Amino acid sequence: MKESRLMLLQYSTAVLAVVLVAIHLVMQGIATPYSTAISYATILSIYRTWFYAIFLEALLVVVLVHGFNGVRIILHEWRQTAPWSRWVDLGTVVAIVATVAFGSRTVILAVFGGVAG
Amino acid sequence: MSSGAEGKAKNRRGLSGWLNPYHYNFERWAYVFQRVTGVAILAYVIGHLGDTSFFVGGPTGTGPSESSWTFISGLVENSFGHLILILVVLVVIFHGANGIRLIVSELGLILGRPSPIEYPYRPKSLRSVQRVLIWVAIALALVGTGWAVLILFGGSI
Amino acid sequence: MKELRLVVQKFDPFSDAAPRLVEYAVPRREGMTVLDALLYARDYVDHSIGLRFSCRQASCGSCGMKINGRPRLACYTQVDELGAEKVVAQPLDNFAIIKDLVTDLGSFFQRHREVTPRLVRDDAQEQDHPTGEYLMKPEELSRVLQFTYCIKCGLCTSSCPTVATDERFPGPQALAQAYRYTADVRDQGGAERMAELDGTHGIWRCHFAGSCSYVCPKGVDPALGIQLLKRHVMSGRPPHSKDDATKVWKPAEKQQ
Ligand code: HEM
Ligand code: SF4
Ligand code: FES
Repeated sequence: MKESRLMLLQYSTAVLAVVLVAIHLVMQGIATPYSTAISYATILSIYRTWFYAIFLEALLVVVLVHGFNGVRIILHEWRQTAPWSRWVDLGTVVAIVATVAFGSRTVILAVFGGVAG
Repeated sequence: MSSGAEGKAKNRRGLSGWLNPYHYNFERWAYVFQRVTGVAILAYVIGHLGDTSFFVGGPTGTGPSESSWTFISGLVENSFGHLILILVVLVVIFHGANGIRLIVSELGLILGRPSPIEYPYRPKSLRSVQRVLIWVAIALALVGTGWAVLILFGGSI
Repeated sequence: MKELRLVVQKFDPFSDAAPRLVEYAVPRREGMTVLDALLYARDYVDHSIGLRFSCRQASCGSCGMKINGRPRLACYTQVDELGAEKVVAQPLDNFAIIKDLVTDLGSFFQRHREVTPRLVRDDAQEQDHPTGEYLMKPEELSRVLQFTYCIKCGLCTSSCPTVATDERFPGPQALAQAYRYTADVRDQGGAERMAELDGTHGIWRCHFAGSCSYVCPKGVDPALGIQLLKRHVMSGRPPHSKDDATKVWKPAEKQQ
């Protein structure tokens, strides 16, 4: 793949992250008092709106793609042997898939999971 | 040349070239901080995936669980945890604002165009707009940090 | 007479285990360059100092070295302008040391060659036997002129943080020259140059730290050239103006 494609991905996730991270910070810190924002009842009620679940999912994907692609860049600049380069690219994909899957599990269970005590 | 001599004489700076901007320009410091903050934020995000998972009972949980959430809150919602959060706010805002400067510059938009050189020469690409924007990023980060300190240590929790 | 403390990093890869710093006392005079000081030390104190220079006027690019921590041309740096009591001369970072202050620029020149640093025409016949002169307008020239002043001294490449670890990255000097030829209205080799430079170890490994432009003694501004190449690749538009894009540059009709 052309590296300019991957940089376009890096830039566009960066621009999206500005919006999403800003919303996230405001919701946690300004919109409601912090202690309310992190209380179990608040999160439960907010999570179970579709809008917020989709927002969190977008934040998750955008930030992790951007972050791991950033680390991929750093690792390529660090070493250049052929096996290293191969493993870095593969590892990046694996890391993104694994972390997005784990984060999505939280979001999905929060929306659909049975409420325990 | 023996391979031993070659190795000794190779002289690439290695990681100190990334991390030590001493003797160089202001923008070089921004480069270092962009890189360090990027990795730091990613590390935080990964940890954050872990702690938020306790909302649904942790990595093996199956749905929202108040006891599990109370457990993790007890671990992270304290002065040390809040100090980490404040640092995260600081570096995220710097990284984001400086990142916008980089995107715009790397797309060749605020650099000016090549032109005949007049001495004493100052490189166009390092003209003052770059320094101004880096200071704006620092200022935004500090304002955001102040706000986070107020919220987390302002006594209103 | 005031004395200058001149510190030189000495290292012979064949016989020395590690570089060491050696101090020399040199008589200080007004207007003296670091090269003058080094030559004094070599001629009168220690004949074994390894040193390379030629033009003494910032034209040949052979006296690049790290002076008080920053890459500079020894012949183009006055002792007074450093504003320091002590002058420390060390070989350029990121280049293999041949001996003392002399570094190996061979692979650096090779990087330069790899970006096809010449005008390329699609028509091979025309390339070898041009039918006339290729004239440029002054504004077209000014788009590339400052990049043509490069003397290949290596200061930019030794200052670059990516070059510090990435052996496959061409470095600021070569990339600035890739811009210089690609942005030339008479050139048709841009696509081929970019095919190589839009890879994993091409232009995108530049993060605009700007140190190359900071240290360049000739006003080349490599960082500017590299960012303009990025714009060219990202936008798909030629680095020269839109009008140029639509017409194929033709040799001027023979006058008379
Ligand atoms: C808030 C909005 C953000 C913006 C505008 C942004 C912007 C950028 C830009 C433009 C780059 C490329 C820099 C370059 O070319 O040298 C970058 C690199 C990077 N970003 Fe972000 N970013 C943001 C958020 C994040 C977040 C949340 C993370 C962590 C998950 C992150 C992690 C990284 C990493 C690891 C790099 C690679 C650093 C490097 O190559 O030096 N960024 N960011
Ligand atoms: S761009 Fe400047 S610093 Fe780099 S090799 Fe050319 S003249 Fe030297
Ligand atoms: S001796 Fe020629 S550039 Fe310094």
